[in-house]
Amino acid sequence: MKGSWLMQDVSVGAGGDAKKLLLERVSAEFRPGEITLLIGHNGAGKSTLLETLAGLRKLNDGSISLDGEPLWMGRKRNKLNRALLLSFGIAMQQSESQWFAPNAREELLYSLRPYKPSAEEAERRIQAALQSIGLQPDLLERDPWTLSGGQQRRLAIACLLACEPDWLLLDEPTAGLDADGTRRLCAILEAHRAAWRGAVVATHDLEALLPLADRVVVVRRGEVREAAPAEAALALAAAAPQALRAQALLRGTAALPPEAPAQRSGGAPWPTPRELAAELARERRRGGNRGGAGEPLAEAARNATAAASDTASAPAAASDTASAPADGKPETSGAARAQIERAVWLRPDYFDPRAVVLAYFLLSAFVLYLGSIKELAVGAIVVVAAAAPFSSIMRKWWKVLRGFAIVSIILLLIGGLSWSPLAFSWAKAEPAAVKLSQLMLIMVIGMPMLELMTPLRLQRAIQQTFGWMARIGIPIHSVGLLIMLIFRFIPLLGREWERFAKLAHARGKAASRLGTVPIRMLRVIFIPFVRSILRIAEEMADALEARGYGSMPAKPVYGFRVAFRRSDALMLGLAALGGFLLLIIIRLL
Amino acid sequence: MQEKAEIMLEGVTVTPALWNGNGGEPILKGVSFSVRSGEWVTLIGGNGSGKSTMMKVLAGMLTKGISGMIARQNAREASSGIIPLVLQQPDAGIIGATPWEDIVSLLERNGAEASTIIAKAEEALRSVGLEERMRQPVETLSGGQKQLTAIAGCMAVNASILLLDEVTSMLDPIMSREVLNGVRALHRDGSAVVWVTQKLEELRSGDRVVIMHDGEIRFDGKASELFRRDSRGEANSSIAERYGLEPPYAVRTAWELQREGILLEPLPLTIEELAEAVLNDEG
Repeated sequence: MKGSWLMQDVSVGAGGDAKKLLLERVSAEFRPGEITLLIGHNGAGKSTLLETLAGLRKLNDGSISLDGEPLWMGRKRNKLNRALLLSFGIAMQQSESQWFAPNAREELLYSLRPYKPSAEEAERRIQAALQSIGLQPDLLERDPWTLSGGQQRRLAIACLLACEPDWLLLDEPTAGLDADGTRRLCAILEAHRAAWRGAVVATHDLEALLPLADRVVVVRRGEVREAAPAEAALALAAAAPQALRAQALLRGTAALPPEAPAQRSGGAPWPTPRELAAELARERRRGGNRGGAGEPLAEAARNATAAASDTASAPAAASDTASAPADGKPETSGAARAQIERAVWLRPDYFDPRAVVLAYFLLSAFVLYLGSIKELAVGAIVVVAAAAPFSSIMRKWWKVLRGFAIVSIILLLIGGLSWSPLAFSWAKAEPAAVKLSQLMLIMVIGMPMLELMTPLRLQRAIQQTFGWMARIGIPIHSVGLLIMLIFRFIPLLGREWERFAKLAHARGKAASRLGTVPIRMLRVIFIPFVRSILRIAEEMADALEARGYGSMPAKPVYGFRVAFRRSDALMLGLAALGGFLLLIIIRLL
Repeated sequence: MQEKAEIMLEGVTVTPALWNGNGGEPILKGVSFSVRSGEWVTLIGGNGSGKSTMMKVLAGMLTKGISGMIARQNAREASSGIIPLVLQQPDAGIIGATPWEDIVSLLERNGAEASTIIAKAEEALRSVGLEERMRQPVETLSGGQKQLTAIAGCMAVNASILLLDEVTSMLDPIMSREVLNGVRALHRDGSAVVWVTQKLEELRSGDRVVIMHDGEIRFDGKASELFRRDSRGEANSSIAERYGLEPPYAVRTAWELQREGILLEPLPLTIEELAEAVLNDEG
């Protein structure tokens, strides 16, 4: 392998949305024979960058190529280049909790499948991978879910190594590994580099990985900048590797002269304990000159961060990166920013859920009253007008609407066909068209409804309104809880499925459209998906039990209540007004 | 030291039920261990040593394949039988759609006085630094912020014991420090804490440290004893080295100083303690 990995002006939006950019015009080059670290705060975009490199995220703009070959092919650039997919392996965050197979050996074979090795070759690779990451061969027959967290992480790395890819893309590989696991990982990376292969590693663990790094890329708010390793380490200021903090602190208290220790060995831009100790001892022997020269410890500690930054040789760049932690606020990812920036009245805690549900029922009733396509056309105008203010929170449902429209049209075509002679009869199709259009309009009204309340507020509204039923023996509080849990659980199903779809691409090397699971993999994925859902349900049940949901209290306590306010009345009034206008127009037609 | 035991395990063995019906090798082998009120316990050990299983036992979440005696002190927690356990991935443990909703519903469930709930919830969220984000949807929070939400919940109900399993492993260094400092503050206010970690630089001198290895407790003592080398400063003579643990930078420096003939007492575990020890030694 000779070529580098090139990203040119790459932009990636949350869910493909160009308005919510997670990466903005990123250009970078990753070279073989080098280990590149991606560093930055939680939510800065490191994981997005790795996933983009691996073809797991669609580009809004720009291009990615490896060794001159484009990652995305086809005229619409929506097909992945399968040959390239085989040349790298990616371990995503939480790669350890996505197992398909009944035992560890099957997991390894699953990862190997796209490479089509012979049986002996597969066995050789599996054994070699296990050995280098330090897993006992007898674990091969274990159910991966019964392994400990750290062992699962090792297995995830073994799955990558067995494929012997030219490139390793690793996301937080040391998280959850013990000291032995971390040492082994470092050895693996060094061997990988020695074989003139490349690695891109997103990490917070500078202590372990910075000494290995050839290059460091700082990711910040979706933008990247290359930095010298030493400068990058200082960029994390207060949380810099211990050695750098020690050096700054000791210099502050004058236990160390400003430039000591001068000699450094090894790859790390900081002194080893031995070098530091030697310098401290030398300074002590020299003695004398520190009478009152040093600052008190507390002050030195305060200044240590600043002192550390001063030693960076590239002041402008260093102060830029150092300012990130200085403001003390963790970064917010693009998707999160978009959520926060919602207008007040679009937030799920603004309207009374009862007002939202009533408005929905009211408009739906009017839509159901409409009897012909002509009337429905007028209805559509009213519905669109009613939904328009909420369009920004409905975007993610458009796909569902489009799907429903396509299915409807197909159904109508089939319904309207007559065979001998072959003809399309509108009269035959119209009743179905009316029903399907009604459903479609009701769906449109319902979409903002889901976004305008949280499960807990809905539960509270049910409890407040129907709480009296509990006195006549109807378990309304249990019903409320059940509805709350269902609403809380449904989005998890979708997110879990997306995770599995991503995995199908990352491990199965599927070149199909992103976000979808190829049909041939459905069989493999379905059972693990159900298992994973059950696991989430179990965790949630534990959490609920830990909170005392195991038994229903005699008298519920309400820390907050939903209240019907003027804005709720206004929304209901507008819905009623729209409905009556609709009726009047229909009468006039 | 308070002698009241918050949780007590005696001779607890956990054997996983495998899919083929056989009981496998036990994950915990006759462990006896107790956490006293207001105590800080740092639990360390290699991958697969049984730390997480131990935490689940302490939390009361394991019911199958377990034998031995478990006793819990606190009446409130005993009523549900389960103590909240904060994990690396706190997602499933958060029930509300926002941190605010989560803590409020938690307090409602715990029978707090209705009129005080909002104030208590907001106070807890403020104290972990989530004030500005308490109405933000949970799925848009970072991993660290979700953990802080879970920790705020424990604070709001004045949990007498906190169980945290490698909560800092996915966090950036700044977030890690924030979470650790938050939990240390809770401990100062009287909560007992069991903290599992791979990062030994998170240790403080006063901590009680428990090392697990192969499903057994191999060491139970003060953090400073863990790193004590013999009088000649011989390499590999400390307990930490024998278990393949990576000592913090301050400890490794102190060891090197010992070889240079400078013995720092007490042995510094953190950078700050190292600087202080160097100053005191000279002054």
